[in-house]
Amino acid sequence: MKPKAIILRGTGTNCDIETFNSFKYVGAEPELVHINQLLSGAKKVLDYSIMAFPGGFSYGDDISAGKIYAVKMSRLSADFGAFIKDKRPVLGICNGFQILVKTGFLPENKAGAQVSTLYTNDCGHFLAKWIKLKINKKSPCIFTKGLPDEIELPIAHGEGKFIIEDKKVMAELVARELHAMTYEENPNGSMLDIAGITNSSGTCFGLMPHPERNFFAWQHPDRPAAAREAAAAGFQFFKNAVDYAG
Amino acid sequence: MTDNLLNFTSLNKKQLVELDRTYGWSLSALELAEVQRQFGETGRQPSRGELETIAQTWSEHCKHKTFSGPVRFKSGGKVKRYKNLFKETIVKATRKLNKKWCLSVFTDNAGIVEFGKNGKWGLAFKAETHNHPCAVEPYGGAETGVGGVVRDILGVGLGAKPVLNTDNFCFGYLDSKTKLPKNSHSPERIMRGVVEGVRDYGNRMGIPTASGGLYFDDGYLLNPLVYVGCAGLIPVDKIAKKVIPGDLIVSIGGRTGRDGIHGATFSSANIDEDTSASAVQIGHAVNEKKTLDVLMRARDLGLYNAVTDCGAGGFSSAIGELGSETGARVRLENAQLKDTHIQPWEIWVSESQERMILSVPGKKLKKLEVILKAESCEYCVLGTFPGDGRLLVTHGAEKVVDLPMSFLHGGVPNFEKAAVRRKVKISDGSPVSPAKTYCGILKDMLAHPNVCSRHSVITQYDHEVQGGTVIKPLQGKYGDGPGDAAVIWPQAATLDLNDFSGFAVTHGFNPAAGRIDPYQMALHTVDEAVRNLLCVGADISRTAILDNFCAASPRDPEVMGDLVLAAEGCHDAAMAYGAPFISGKDSFYNQAKDAEGNEYPIPISLLISATAPVEDIRKAITMNFKEAGNPVYLAGVNRRGLGGSVYGDMMVAGNNFISPLAMKEAVRLYLAVSKAISAGCVIAAHDVSQGGLAVTLAEMAFSGGLGAEIELAGAAREKGLGPLELLFGESPARLVLEVTKGKETEFLKLVKGLPVNEIGYVNEEPVLDVKDGEARLFTENINALKTCWKRELL
Amino acid sequence: MIIEIWTKEKYAGNEEAAFMARLAHAGLKVKTARLSRLYRVDADFSKAEFSKIASELLTDNITERCSLSPGKAGLKNAYRAEVWLKDSVSDVVGESVKSAITDVLGREPGAVRFGHAYYVPCDSELKLRRAVSKTLVNEVVNKFKIGKC
Repeated sequence: MKPKAIILRGTGTNCDIETFNSFKYVGAEPELVHINQLLSGAKKVLDYSIMAFPGGFSYGDDISAGKIYAVKMSRLSADFGAFIKDKRPVLGICNGFQILVKTGFLPENKAGAQVSTLYTNDCGHFLAKWIKLKINKKSPCIFTKGLPDEIELPIAHGEGKFIIEDKKVMAELVARELHAMTYEENPNGSMLDIAGITNSSGTCFGLMPHPERNFFAWQHPDRPAAAREAAAAGFQFFKNAVDYAG
Repeated sequence: MTDNLLNFTSLNKKQLVELDRTYGWSLSALELAEVQRQFGETGRQPSRGELETIAQTWSEHCKHKTFSGPVRFKSGGKVKRYKNLFKETIVKATRKLNKKWCLSVFTDNAGIVEFGKNGKWGLAFKAETHNHPCAVEPYGGAETGVGGVVRDILGVGLGAKPVLNTDNFCFGYLDSKTKLPKNSHSPERIMRGVVEGVRDYGNRMGIPTASGGLYFDDGYLLNPLVYVGCAGLIPVDKIAKKVIPGDLIVSIGGRTGRDGIHGATFSSANIDEDTSASAVQIGHAVNEKKTLDVLMRARDLGLYNAVTDCGAGGFSSAIGELGSETGARVRLENAQLKDTHIQPWEIWVSESQERMILSVPGKKLKKLEVILKAESCEYCVLGTFPGDGRLLVTHGAEKVVDLPMSFLHGGVPNFEKAAVRRKVKISDGSPVSPAKTYCGILKDMLAHPNVCSRHSVITQYDHEVQGGTVIKPLQGKYGDGPGDAAVIWPQAATLDLNDFSGFAVTHGFNPAAGRIDPYQMALHTVDEAVRNLLCVGADISRTAILDNFCAASPRDPEVMGDLVLAAEGCHDAAMAYGAPFISGKDSFYNQAKDAEGNEYPIPISLLISATAPVEDIRKAITMNFKEAGNPVYLAGVNRRGLGGSVYGDMMVAGNNFISPLAMKEAVRLYLAVSKAISAGCVIAAHDVSQGGLAVTLAEMAFSGGLGAEIELAGAAREKGLGPLELLFGESPARLVLEVTKGKETEFLKLVKGLPVNEIGYVNEEPVLDVKDGEARLFTENINALKTCWKRELL
Repeated sequence: MIIEIWTKEKYAGNEEAAFMARLAHAGLKVKTARLSRLYRVDADFSKAEFSKIASELLTDNITERCSLSPGKAGLKNAYRAEVWLKDSVSDVVGESVKSAITDVLGREPGAVRFGHAYYVPCDSELKLRRAVSKTLVNEVVNKFKIGKC
């Protein structure tokens, strides 16, 4: 049976459809669900096997990116917490990563509090470009399994500077190899060049770059694309989630 | 003044003009007289709301009186008369071409052409300008400009899904030394605000801003131009819309406030110091995003019979347009308001942003409400479309408008405008010898604001959201080369990952040529746009184009003369290239008073936006050199003249001749090159445009991280063409191609008999070396050239 | 009530440098400056409720701190420019924060407006006023005041 994937939307979510398409292509049964449908009780997250927070500007990114969405989720934090604890795959891309950080689900911590942030890029504004990323092979992250040491993905964000204030939290994150992905050339000023982090089970993963935008060879800038294999680096992230859930 | 309003039908001419000025209607004396005559017949005085409605409906912005009006054009001793300039040039070409793949032209909010293979989809495309608001408040002006054109796409047919935004800007030079009048913003500030506005609105909407241009000229110092465009996909069975009598009038999206009073009449008037503050708004992208999300869901469920956007004129135009046959019964007390200090007539004409009007069958309202609530989108039911042809607008017991629809949409009086050909002195002799080396000139040229890298603007836009920007605005080995066109694979609209149909979008723009020869400018502009489409491998035999004219005051016969010539050029180019216009827009009165109080008009400015299908997006190509050893070809003939060139802007050229475009030859050449690209013979293509051949070669080289050994002796050229014109001239219909080694024989067979000549090969060594027979023109390291080019504009 | 949000000094270098570059472009060269965000919340909330929305909603506690008594930048001889959108202009951020406050407290405030404060040490108010009008505010949509702090 195809694993059911909940693609969470809200006002201002805007990478939902391509994320939906990507999950569908690798064999999941995705469904777009608005946070209002969860808040009203019409839908329940625990009815799904995979969860994705797509990119966008949820609630305009007002106050700070992902903050208002995180506030709306707080009433349902028990359900979200149970989903993660159950080791069902959770993927937060860009704004989705910002939401996971602002809710305190990433980095994983006992208090379930926000212990890190994604702050305004050093350049001071939104930046969209292709970058090279290093994959941490020692990381428990299930999404990055089978990827080469180095991949390319586009970034597109204004607030991607990853900061952890508490040195102990950072040391632990590094010691447990939870920094699953780092920038080769840091585009935003992130500490330790961190581009994506996971929890200790490797099932909850947030990253700033967009794997759904390098899902197929022809989305990559290199031309012509027709001669290359269709599946590109981003494909693996989604495939891994479905394989794990299925 | 209220007294004058009460005695409207008995006012004299002078009093009418005074009244018009007080209320800011921008109606002409002729129009005022017509309004007076019509109300005289009804035997009663008009209400404020009725006069405001008429001012909005008859405004330049809504009716395009200048372009669609009669013109008398004088050129030398000859006189030509037009009854409707737009119809007799632009529309005429489309009618004559009569392409069956054009699904909707000039009637709806955007033009629609067929998209893809199975006849299921249409591609809607539209561009417009938002110049005056951007001059006054660049950030808010640009935001609401983007919001407006996106709503055009949402409001075409029963709604198209936006998949691409375009942006083209014209500013004064950032380092301009010209003294600005009080209340004018510096070009640097205008540019920053406009870029940030497009960025913040487009990015929040989730629509990739992936195609556009940036042009600097001091002619735009006081009147910047901000062209914004949008393309969207629509199922072909959702193109027709029809209001059914009895339908409810439902407004969705933003609320109505005083912030939107008098936008339509504003864009028809010159900017002066007392420009009203309320004419400028800040955009609310999140509200528009909610509107988009609701519309797409409601459209697919068939919950409404018609839709249109609230643009200029607000409810009055949108409801007036939807109800032009059925009439409309509107109860303004039902409107959702931003503030309580608003007059009923203000609610009726307010242009508050982010609102759409739907025509909803009563029994479907419940289902629509469910979606609206699920998306947290505000709405209100304003009334009904009754079917009696009467427009009745009330607010409680107060009657705001009570007129037959025919009053509004009947003949707007129009008067014949005088047009004359501008006299320009042409020097076509040999250019003055430059004091600099060719290499030195090339380096300065690469750093020229009209040539240098646009990355500091492009990278602020989320140009890859929706995952379909397969040919990107920045290309090449390092993702920073200047692309000729964007190619969109609209997977987020079709949801079909096995369909590789896409479309290319690009632009042509050349006001420098327009200053010298507006007719040739139009031809060159269409040619550049088609050539750009060709460079990515699009099917140019199915090119569709949009015209966007910006001009100074139409009261100036020379401005009208420029317009006539450019419009005739549009007609002739459309016919020659087989490229119909599918939509267009114009903006006049782009002039203001400078610091000394003199009139400061913009040059005639024609933006051509073009789109063509890409059958298989996987085969689309980019502009950078790909592989050492591959041969390089120049397609097209190098012709004389430095008129309108970047070189002419930088140096004393002593020559302002513009080479006339040989359109038939160009089309023949392009069709052959198109075949060669489809056959996989060509792996990189780049057009020769601003900066000329030297810039084209440099860009292809440094974007690919490869050098080239170039020998121009074999290139086709007009007699008497010197090295300066060869390197930096901007004669049209030329492009540089990199051909795959091993496919040369096939390539040469496809371009046989055409001016396509080998001019060298791609080289591993990172040096661009250019010779012309015995003459060594220049040799330079590609990284040194790139350093000059890669400037931070912001 | 006006709630002021500060970027902690160690993270504020970039925004301050960008701000000073804009001032310099407008003819005012300074060596230091501080910036903050302002939320004006019109509501009859208790002090504890205002503190809650300030610290739990409006502040990113990793990189920011908040204050319920605005205007204290700790800069010597500084002027303070406070910039808001005019009341007649829609305040998009304000609207969004208003609804978020309702989510957090379960009670809706009357109005929320979003603004900025800039603290600039310089020798004359006039110079700052000139630079601010040239680069930061547009009197078509903004209102602003400058005072010694």
